[in-house]
Amino acid sequence: MRTRPFVAIVAARLYAELGAIEFTILAALLVGMLAPRGLAGPIAFCCLAGIAAAMAQSPGRHRDLDHCEQSAPLFGRELARAKALAPCIAAILTAIAYLGAALTRGANEIAVAAPVVLSAVVLCTLVALCAAIRRGLPRVLYLIFAIAAGAAAYSLAAIAHSLWGELLFCAVAAFFAVRQYGEALARYDPI
Amino acid sequence: MPLLRMRNATFVRGDCGVGPISLDLLAGDRATLVLDSSTEAAIVARLACGLVKASSGSVLIGDYDPRVQSVHCKRLAALVAHEPATLHENDFARYVKYRAALWNVEETHALRLAGSLRERLGSMHAAFAFPLIGALIGAPQLVVLDRPQAAYAADMLGLLERFALLSTHTSDADAATFAPFAQRGKLRA
Repeated sequence: MRTRPFVAIVAARLYAELGAIEFTILAALLVGMLAPRGLAGPIAFCCLAGIAAAMAQSPGRHRDLDHCEQSAPLFGRELARAKALAPCIAAILTAIAYLGAALTRGANEIAVAAPVVLSAVVLCTLVALCAAIRRGLPRVLYLIFAIAAGAAAYSLAAIAHSLWGELLFCAVAAFFAVRQYGEALARYDPI
Repeated sequence: MPLLRMRNATFVRGDCGVGPISLDLLAGDRATLVLDSSTEAAIVARLACGLVKASSGSVLIGDYDPRVQSVHCKRLAALVAHEPATLHENDFARYVKYRAALWNVEETHALRLAGSLRERLGSMHAAFAFPLIGALIGAPQLVVLDRPQAAYAADMLGLLERFALLSTHTSDADAATFAPFAQRGKLRA
């Protein structure tokens, strides 16, 4: 993909949601200080933040951006990658804020928790993006998939104690989620 | 070769449907279409610039079919939506740079062009002027106006003199006010 439109879309999407991102990061700092231990807290909170960031990309929330992106000479997959990165950045910043706050409260397993939480958060966000451009039952189903993906990542890491299994699961599922999002965007009719 | 060729083009999604529409628009031509509702007008405007695909019939923009070559269609045709943009005067440079990046147009050239266009549209509110200026940054050959404001007709038509132009309207009176050049008998789709 050409870099310039990619960067422009990501920057515009982040700028449009700047207030919400700041609020989420502050909330992550607070919750990270209150619940610094274990994986359940950061995965649950940051996945929900990622889902919220993804749903903020729903058509109609930023009509001018939607219109420009739909009118621009870009392929569906190009648009999908750029639109997917913006909520992922927001979710990753939230996770970093959470883990940073947990670290200040003496959580010493950050080195293991960080890759687990970050991969789970990115996966949840990408699956939730597929919900953002759908309505009705498909939207609900994709939201359930997103939550289930976060739960599966947690189970692999915290219950099955398989760090590499969790990372592999997140990588494979995230790849298919982005592909699915790209195809849905290519077929999307803005009517 | 027509810049826009629609042959029995229809669009149907659930309860909402429009067409069949047949139309040929050559480079430099100007045409208006009057539709029965604002939804139909919005759909036809989007059909004409390849933003939505026809359910049946065919739409060709230049030589390109929006069903398989939508990127090429979007380089040739630009849509100015009916809804005003939620932009203010101080968003101008950021908006122009954003559009220039999406269309891969050199930033300084885009800013210079946009500045001169804004001067020509000095009396037009930013919410209506910016989308029109933004649409011209990518140097399209065809500009599609979805239910344009009749109050700005003189400014808009003056600015779009060298482009092929298609505008959609919801009444003959609106179309005649906006585009008195159009032949009355050909107004209704």
